[in-house]
Amino acid sequence: MPDRPAQSSTALIQVHEIIQELAPNDAANEVVTSVQRYPAKEAQWAPMPDWVLPELAQAYHAKGIERLYSHQAEAAEKARRGENVVVVTPTASGKTLCYNLPVLNAILENPDTRALYIYPTKALAQDQLAELEDLDRKLGDKFGVFTYDGDTPSDARQSIRQQGHIVLTNPDMLHSGILPHHTKWTRLFENLQYIVIDELHTYRGVFGSHLANVLRRLKRITRFYGRNPQFVFSSATIANPGELAGRLIGADVDVLDGNGAPSAEKYFIFYNPPVVNRFLGIRRSYINETWRIARGFLQRGLQAIVFANSRLHTEVLLTYLKKDNPVPPGAPEIVKGYRGGYLPLERREIERGLRSGQIRAVVATNALELGIDIGSLDVAIMAGYPGTIASTWQRAGRAGRRKGSSCAVFVASSRPIDQFIVKHPEYFFTGSPEHAYIQPDNLEILVNHLKCAAFELPIEPGESFGEVDLPLLCERLAEAGYLHRSGDFWYWTQEAYPADTVSLRSVSSDNFVIVDETGEPEVIGEVDFSSALSTVHPKAIYMHGAQQYHVERLDFDQRKAYVKKVDVDYFTQAIRYTQVQRLEVEETEAVQGPASRSHGDVQVRSQVVGFKKIKFYTLENVGSGKLELPENEMHTTAYWVTLERLLLDPLPFTISERQDGLFGLLYALESVASLLLMCDRMDLGATIGEGAPDLASAPAERRLESAPEREQFFQPALYLYDAYPGGIGLSEPLFHLHDLLIARTRELIAGCACEKGCPSCVGPAGETGDRAKEVALAILDRLSIRDSGFGI
Amino acid sequence: MDTFADRLSRVAALRPDARTLKQRQVAEASANSERLLQLLGGETCFNRLGAHMIVRRRFPQPLPGAMDSRALRLIASCPAEYIGDPYQWLFLDTETTGLAGGTGTYAFLVGLAWWEEDSFVIQQYFMRDHGEEPSMLFALLDRFAQGTVLVTFNGKSFDWPLMQTRFQMRRLGPIQAPAAHLDFLHPARQLWRLRLKSVALSELERQVLRLDRGRDIPSETIPQIYFDFLRGSPPEEMAEVFRHNQMDLCGLASLALHITRILAEPEKCEACAEELFGISRLLHRRGEQRLAGQMYRKALDGGLPKDAELVARRELAFLAKRDRDFELSNAQWERLLGNSPEGLKAYEQLAIYYEHYARLPQKAASLTREALVQLQEAFHSGSISRRPYMHWHSSLQHRLDRLMGKLGL
Repeated sequence: MPDRPAQSSTALIQVHEIIQELAPNDAANEVVTSVQRYPAKEAQWAPMPDWVLPELAQAYHAKGIERLYSHQAEAAEKARRGENVVVVTPTASGKTLCYNLPVLNAILENPDTRALYIYPTKALAQDQLAELEDLDRKLGDKFGVFTYDGDTPSDARQSIRQQGHIVLTNPDMLHSGILPHHTKWTRLFENLQYIVIDELHTYRGVFGSHLANVLRRLKRITRFYGRNPQFVFSSATIANPGELAGRLIGADVDVLDGNGAPSAEKYFIFYNPPVVNRFLGIRRSYINETWRIARGFLQRGLQAIVFANSRLHTEVLLTYLKKDNPVPPGAPEIVKGYRGGYLPLERREIERGLRSGQIRAVVATNALELGIDIGSLDVAIMAGYPGTIASTWQRAGRAGRRKGSSCAVFVASSRPIDQFIVKHPEYFFTGSPEHAYIQPDNLEILVNHLKCAAFELPIEPGESFGEVDLPLLCERLAEAGYLHRSGDFWYWTQEAYPADTVSLRSVSSDNFVIVDETGEPEVIGEVDFSSALSTVHPKAIYMHGAQQYHVERLDFDQRKAYVKKVDVDYFTQAIRYTQVQRLEVEETEAVQGPASRSHGDVQVRSQVVGFKKIKFYTLENVGSGKLELPENEMHTTAYWVTLERLLLDPLPFTISERQDGLFGLLYALESVASLLLMCDRMDLGATIGEGAPDLASAPAERRLESAPEREQFFQPALYLYDAYPGGIGLSEPLFHLHDLLIARTRELIAGCACEKGCPSCVGPAGETGDRAKEVALAILDRLSIRDSGFGI
Repeated sequence: MDTFADRLSRVAALRPDARTLKQRQVAEASANSERLLQLLGGETCFNRLGAHMIVRRRFPQPLPGAMDSRALRLIASCPAEYIGDPYQWLFLDTETTGLAGGTGTYAFLVGLAWWEEDSFVIQQYFMRDHGEEPSMLFALLDRFAQGTVLVTFNGKSFDWPLMQTRFQMRRLGPIQAPAAHLDFLHPARQLWRLRLKSVALSELERQVLRLDRGRDIPSETIPQIYFDFLRGSPPEEMAEVFRHNQMDLCGLASLALHITRILAEPEKCEACAEELFGISRLLHRRGEQRLAGQMYRKALDGGLPKDAELVARRELAFLAKRDRDFELSNAQWERLLGNSPEGLKAYEQLAIYYEHYARLPQKAASLTREALVQLQEAFHSGSISRRPYMHWHSSLQHRLDRLMGKLGL
């Protein structure tokens, strides 16, 4: 990448201009709440280790690398010594060298050596392939490196299995393509020495719990071939990288978190859209503001990446920016979208266009958040808080990966979590990053992988698979027809191929296919099962490539949604109805209030019951509809706070005001909880139920957005539950974080400038009721640990 | 407090698949094995890896005599003469717990067959339980080491790789591949796909060999029959699977002889036009140009369905052109002229002939012009899609421009 000092300094001047332009009257810093400058940092060097073979040192030399950053040397040394290690560094600090150096050296020393690299996405593996192929050329074709994923042509697979010294793949392919066919990979498994797992921090929640089980299976297979490979992880900054890596592989992992890489000057700007109605707490639309900011940068010739948190918003922003930047017919577009639903070829093309500079702006979901090499962009703009400190830094890192100055802008939405972050920049800039939680022993997940494991190798006596009673599980699987016991071994006895029915990324593997019927029927994309009901329900407006489609019908059995192209001025949002029923209390404890905190097992039933039509640009509600869709039911784990009558009764509010306050409180609690847990918002659900034991079974709970008429609760319980069958380990940490959760929620609501509640604290005033904010605060006061200042 | 068992009862992944649990254990599995042994007249074999079951059957049948090695080399490339020695042939057909492949698919019944003096001998190896797999595989190891020419139907991509996987899973392999492997699926497909909708072995027996299997079980039910047997279902259905496997082996042997005979003397073959077309395709692909040309002509004389006729004429025309038999070649092209892909190809080829060989550029130009008209029609009627249209258009236009230049127009 060439240095661009001249351009960079203009870039900075332009950043200041744009800030001025955006917030001309922002004397109180209410709009631009923070401008952090990160000065350039000098590199810390270490010499190339003496064990590195001269030819390898030379190949790196040819790439311009003659010495290492201090953290690279340290990590390579540990990996060389055979230790399991996790390297924690920010984007663009040369983390791939940390594992490539020892792995390639081992291959050059002994050409039988094999390594398996696991990346969370195909795109990342592609990118690393290019890097390794380049090294291979410089070494004079000394090793074979290949990607092995769903796109690999079948005639190439045979030779990859034999000749790949390094095979780059993803957890899904390992799960369904490699492990069930391990005998075809004998060459690899018999010589497998290194397993590299990149982007460790992405393996949290459901995905991480799945990966832990895939790795259990991988370790069984390597044992079968007499190997015990070592693991090298790399991760963005999270609070517990060592613990997460350790749980994933069931062994101790050393953490290295130094960083010797230099960094260029960078500005990080927090932008809160101006308030347009102080009474209702309404701000300008953050999507429109993001658009304005992006436009400002683009007009000044800067290359930008814009992140949105949902497919829908990606498409909306893409539509706006494309209209701003029309190209002559036939000419390549300069503004592109990039997200999961795009086809692989389309994505490769976009990545190339960004690197070459032909594409000036890309609007992306988190598909581009990870370390794909798209060259150095000038600006990264985030529409909405990405959900965690870790992924915010990752997205910010897309701007100015190497040299020169750059700028990252976070545009806050009115969601409580965004408002909390934008008004408390210190939480973000100085606070500890989040924990990543997984639950490898979630029975639903574990049992599915146990089936796969039995398919791969019979289950032996004395074997273990996670912390469960394995013989009992095998017996149950035999009773259900999946296994058969012969001697002391358990064998797979089904025609079906178990890995096919298990998806690592969602509850079930069946995706809904989107079929465009405008002309000749054509498949234009896919959505996963869990989001299908809310994105492609009948009459929904589905967006793909900035084109709107009207969903004509949803064929639930065939998993198909039929759509037709339309051009309307609105998009749709689904309305969901949720009930919770308590099954088993794991732990319960009286807390300040009087109230109690608990966690345990619950049953959650939810259903998409309708949808709203929302107008572009103004975002007003222009209609709605009812839907009759199948109900979704699951057992999961939950944390809940039960408020006793003694807490609520003395409060000077009417019954309906109290109910408003409870829903407002729940709204805020959910946001703060997902902030504290580093989980996707999708991983956590919230609802209110009856907390009094004798009434607990009454399924009278409703969720805020879908509850026009609200029941009265005797002793209300506020539930936050894991949105995955069996739970993924979020509820117990919440139980322990209770005090912090209450304190932070109180800070959020008390610190909100609105008068009577707004989307940023307890929900929009019009929907939550006039006194919701007041009531929520009163309840929180009672729940808070008292210090001298509060509640006598 | 919830017990572990309570938790298990809620796990969806533990719920029985309704289709799989047809019946619960009705008898002790060992008693069933005993009855199966009696039903089939099998015996238990022992070796150092345990025990398994064997069923042996001998069908009186005269040895077919030496087979045409040249014909067999159209099916498998093997220079050795013994490929035509029927004593070296070993037929293989497996019954498995599924078609998906992978490490969890078992070949629970392995049927082998060979000619011995004047008999056709079938020997079936069976694991009555998964625990008997090592012993069964160990016995097979020996057998595979003896057979030099493996004969299968779809064994190249299914049975043989599956056996390899099983040997590897039990740490007995990988074993050496047989010296020659004659797989009759692909030749059968080439010969009869045009005539028959399905080239499943049972279908070929009925339609081509005129054999009647009589009572047989649908092969897709086989895995479940085995699972039921493992769990103690009465062994009668399992016995049917053995019979099915025997019929597959017999059918395979007949088919192998039939195909070999056809390929030994294709020109004498009294088959219908569709079959002749199939034979020509096979010969053509294997580089038997001269014979292939003959067979295309024979097939065309017999009258082919439209699509096959177009292909046969095109191929015959190219073969004739290669032999510089322009009369034969041009006769085919003349009959192909039209707006089909072959028809456009015919215009092009005739234009090449008249330009370069007959030296009549005027004629070549008028053919090319006609082709462009046909192409337009084809595009407007929707019989040709955009991409090939563009391709044809630019190539024809280019040719026409050049011819016009040559003619000084």
